[in-house]
Amino acid sequence: MTQHTGRFDRRTFMRGALATAALLPLAGPLAACSSPSGGGGSTSSGTKSATNPFGLKDNTSVEAVIFNGGYGYDYVTFAADQVTKQKDFSGVKIKVSPSTQIAQELQPRFAAGNPPDLIDNSGAGIIGFNTIAEQLETLDDVFDAKNYEGTKIADTLYPNAKATGTYDGRFVAMNYVMTVYAVWYSASLFQENGWTPPKTWDEALDLGAKAKAKGKYLWVWGKEAATYYRTLAIDSAAKEGGDEVRLALENLEPKAWSHPAIQGIFEKLGEMVTRGMFVPGGAGTQFTAAQAKWSNDQQAILYPSGGWIENEMKKATKSGFEMTGFPEPTLTDSPAMPYEALRAASGEGFIVPSKGKNPAGGKEILRAMLSQDAATNFSKTKLAPTIVKGTVPADGFGSTALKSQSKMLDDAGDNVFNYQFYDYYGMDSDQLVVWNSFLSGHTDVAGLTKGMQEISDKVANDSSVKKLKIT
Amino acid sequence: MKSSVKSSTHSRAARRTPSAGRPRVTARRRLARWRAQLTFDRVSFMVVFLGLPLAIFVVFVLVPVCEALFYSLTDWTGFSPEMNVVGFANFTKLAHDDIFVHAVRNNIELAIVVPIVTLAAAFAIAIVVTMGGPSTGAVRGIRAGGWYRTVSFFPYAVPAIVIGLIWAQVFDPASGLLNGVLTKVGLHGFTDFAWLGEVKSAMPASMFVIIWGSIGFYTVLFVAAIKGLPAEIYEAARIDGAGRLRTAVSITLPLIRDNVQTAYIYIGILCLDAFVFMQALNSGGGPDNSTLTMSQYLLTTAFKKNQFGYATAMGVVLAVITLLFAAIVFAVIRLFGGRDERGRA
Repeated sequence: MTQHTGRFDRRTFMRGALATAALLPLAGPLAACSSPSGGGGSTSSGTKSATNPFGLKDNTSVEAVIFNGGYGYDYVTFAADQVTKQKDFSGVKIKVSPSTQIAQELQPRFAAGNPPDLIDNSGAGIIGFNTIAEQLETLDDVFDAKNYEGTKIADTLYPNAKATGTYDGRFVAMNYVMTVYAVWYSASLFQENGWTPPKTWDEALDLGAKAKAKGKYLWVWGKEAATYYRTLAIDSAAKEGGDEVRLALENLEPKAWSHPAIQGIFEKLGEMVTRGMFVPGGAGTQFTAAQAKWSNDQQAILYPSGGWIENEMKKATKSGFEMTGFPEPTLTDSPAMPYEALRAASGEGFIVPSKGKNPAGGKEILRAMLSQDAATNFSKTKLAPTIVKGTVPADGFGSTALKSQSKMLDDAGDNVFNYQFYDYYGMDSDQLVVWNSFLSGHTDVAGLTKGMQEISDKVANDSSVKKLKIT
Repeated sequence: MKSSVKSSTHSRAARRTPSAGRPRVTARRRLARWRAQLTFDRVSFMVVFLGLPLAIFVVFVLVPVCEALFYSLTDWTGFSPEMNVVGFANFTKLAHDDIFVHAVRNNIELAIVVPIVTLAAAFAIAIVVTMGGPSTGAVRGIRAGGWYRTVSFFPYAVPAIVIGLIWAQVFDPASGLLNGVLTKVGLHGFTDFAWLGEVKSAMPASMFVIIWGSIGFYTVLFVAAIKGLPAEIYEAARIDGAGRLRTAVSITLPLIRDNVQTAYIYIGILCLDAFVFMQALNSGGGPDNSTLTMSQYLLTTAFKKNQFGYATAMGVVLAVITLLFAAIVFAVIRLFGGRDERGRA
């Protein structure tokens, strides 16, 4: 290669580049200030009526982004088809797209003020509600509207349907799927051995000893799901000590984790750890592999989880397992709430961002989902109850787990509660570390309490994090 | 270079080249000459080879970097257009964030141990396959050296995420290959031992996986460098009575110093990130955060805790640490480099 006069050698170029670079820090922030602004101009709404409660205009388009997890996203497509079957909306175009990482995928769109009209905000990539609650439409009008059968939607739902989606007094998330938190076991295995589900922690310890005699463990845990035992402990403590336990945790109060009810349960769990009632090595085991040690190998006999466990382990469950749930044990015989009390919460939070182009369309899809056809379709295909009552028949579509969920819900009646602080503030990943350490036997109850309290205090003392007041 | 000038246009340009010995030209003449040099050929060359890369660099590197610097000074949640400038509050918070400090320590641990072990092993393999052969005749590697080189390169051909997932299975306490083998040979202490779940073993096990996956590439790099060295030096060394080890340490290593430096910086940067491996092995940061890396914590902070401003500040710190690391490596290698280092790129 020939070289030219050498005026433009590498050094000259670098000098030029550096000069340009020196100027840029000035330009950068200016560009940064302007780029994430701008709002989505929303479609002007049409006339509202009984059959068109949100004023959705015909011939507009609606965009929905749905978390594609255990329940898939086809049930929303089904509901969308119900919308377009209505005579007013035959020209509405609905696009339903799946996503497995809601926060990562939609963050740029929220930042640019151009979010979709309906989002199923759940899964590991959930967008924290303390961050976006203010940017969401309130959904009271959805529950006040009549469903496609002509009944007021609010009258067709399980109690507390609004509570789980209310943040700072605004009802912004429609949680669609009913989730029951319980302890799960194999009814056939228990029958074979003459065991009964323990109602108190002392009974659980006895059962653990009996299981040991048979070469089995009481519990098993996996590294990504160690916090299921946090859930178990809180549920049980909330039943034992009443609402004050739960509210202290929700509001990140100092010493919330030192409440006697929580401490009592931690002590029992600690005893189980030291007596070797947990399958060892959980901190190094992938969680579904760990769960298979319960559902398939029957190395462990109990597992605390939400009602999704049946679906999740479908392919790794021993035949004839007869998966059944029972309410978490209590500490004493006289807890503040009855033994049958449950943490039952509606999950899969559907949200309608205010800055979407067509919020009325998002709400219309919700209305379709809460109508009989779509709700029954969901229970039937996903084997899980929705917040719409009476869509699960007595035989639970042939599922023992679904049947026991319905039974537990009926037994609990109004004694259902929920809490969400670890999801609001994204604490789960920090808490996992502490729980893995505790369940492995590396930290004692004092260490567990200190660790959990530190995580809570850190958020409580961080003025940049917006707090939600739960009552 | 000038000797290869062939075409007439180029030689005309070459004739106009001012040389140092000539008397100084006036400013006007210089300007005129500069204008004369602005031929289409030259301008188009500048546009394509200078303008375009510079524009791409500015748009895709400099602007995002500056934007990131700006975000790190705000309390942006990531999910709204609004943000407030909070000055250096994020950085002060970082300094007091024990989990972040722990993550920085983990990354530094990685950046010290992994490069040393990997490069030492890669160098050893490279020496054996290039000059470990018979001590008579020309200096050459052991028999089937090429085969060993290929085998050592295998892991590098597998994507990091796959390596991570495979090893996560190997390390499984109950059904993993490793504990299976260890208990088979009678080491019953390893029954249900959670390699990735114990504070003592999680980091070494993770380091092993990164090393396992990286050795091959650096072996090939060193082999190529060693093959480029003149054989006469080795012959001279052998005549002077230098053994294999002496040749490797006192002759080969100094001669490929530049390659070692480049390799060290490359693998060091990999360790300061280490995201893919760590996410596959212990996505939660490991027992007591013993394998948590800065990039993992950044991801959690941004997308789980929705604190984008704070997460960006972590990114800035990570970038600064990476630059510092590169500077330290340059400094250390220059320190051991002797005098001939100056003037080499």
